[in-house]
Amino acid sequence: MHWKLFATLREATGHQEVAVEIEEDATIRDALDALLQNHPELEDELFSPQGELYNHIRLLQNGDDPFLTGDGFDADVGPDDELALFPPVSGG
Amino acid sequence: MHTVSIVGEDASVLLERLVGRLSARGSLATITKRSSVSSQASPDDITRIEDSGDITELPAQPAPGHENAIHYTAAGADVAYGHAAEGWSGYGTTDRSIEELIDDLAGKYDYCLLEGHTGGAVETIAVGEMDTDTPLLEIDDPETCALEPILEQIDDTTPHVTLETLVNDVQTVSAESQAGAIATFTGRVRAKEHPDDTPTEYLSFEMYEKVASDRLDTIREELEAREGVHAVRFHHRTGVIERGEEIVYVVVLAGHRREAFRTVEDGIDRLKAEVPIFKKEVTTDETFWVHDQADQQ
Repeated sequence: MHWKLFATLREATGHQEVAVEIEEDATIRDALDALLQNHPELEDELFSPQGELYNHIRLLQNGDDPFLTGDGFDADVGPDDELALFPPVSGG
Repeated sequence: MHTVSIVGEDASVLLERLVGRLSARGSLATITKRSSVSSQASPDDITRIEDSGDITELPAQPAPGHENAIHYTAAGADVAYGHAAEGWSGYGTTDRSIEELIDDLAGKYDYCLLEGHTGGAVETIAVGEMDTDTPLLEIDDPETCALEPILEQIDDTTPHVTLETLVNDVQTVSAESQAGAIATFTGRVRAKEHPDDTPTEYLSFEMYEKVASDRLDTIREELEAREGVHAVRFHHRTGVIERGEEIVYVVVLAGHRREAFRTVEDGIDRLKAEVPIFKKEVTTDETFWVHDQADQQ
């Protein structure tokens, strides 16, 4: 699967898109762990000192919010999935 | 309006072939950039051009039959139009950039082909030996090359959209006869919030393209489902946008003014809150992502 990163997160890693290898029964948490293994510099951008994903960070799975429509971190991830992480939107 | 510039020595050969095909697909404008050599064209050149049908070396003259335009512009008119049953011509003396010309055409034509223009945001097709930065296509033989792949590439370019494009577009919907109002919103780059602020130089926008386009479609469908709202259009530019330039448009065609105004306001509010677009601001002193700035305030 691959991750898409935007704005501050893209700048922190220097990549708009990051492909990661995951197991067949992987969840979003596994995909996020794989991303952080490749890019530990994201840790401070994404997580509070208590280890919680910051409230202002958005995570989408194929365009949908898994925390609203699915199982959140426990949602299954397939090999063709696109996961995205970004800070608050600021268009207009 | 899909806008592409054909560059290279034999650009006109390809351009002429493309004009025939594109004009069958939609309305088409062409902008010919005169080379410095032909700028000294004499009246003899006009005859030669009429004879040969050569569109590449237009001299600095108005269309035949509209010579008065020269007198009027010399007397002070910024632009002089000629009008006749068989057509019209325009002749201007003011210093207008190619970008301004393209903006003017964007509301009226489906395609714009430029000849010999490089630079700016316009995609290019390079003909023959031509040292151009990242052309859309490179064509070796403009006389025999297949046109279909070129036409497909032109159709795939990101269309040039202005407020006028959207205003014209909403008026083509079938419910247009029940619409008495068009309301529009234009967002532009503000240099300063207060008079003594450090001025913003430019904003740089990044978009999560596919998701942004899906979100905008959803917002548009929901707003168009409102009673009395007949059409809603959005357009948000990306990349670097300098101070004073336009960023975003919302256009609403509605039965009456009240639902038009309300829907324009809700449209821009929802775009700003829901669509994955990210803004980086560069002032004369610093560079920052706008969401970070909002956190600090």
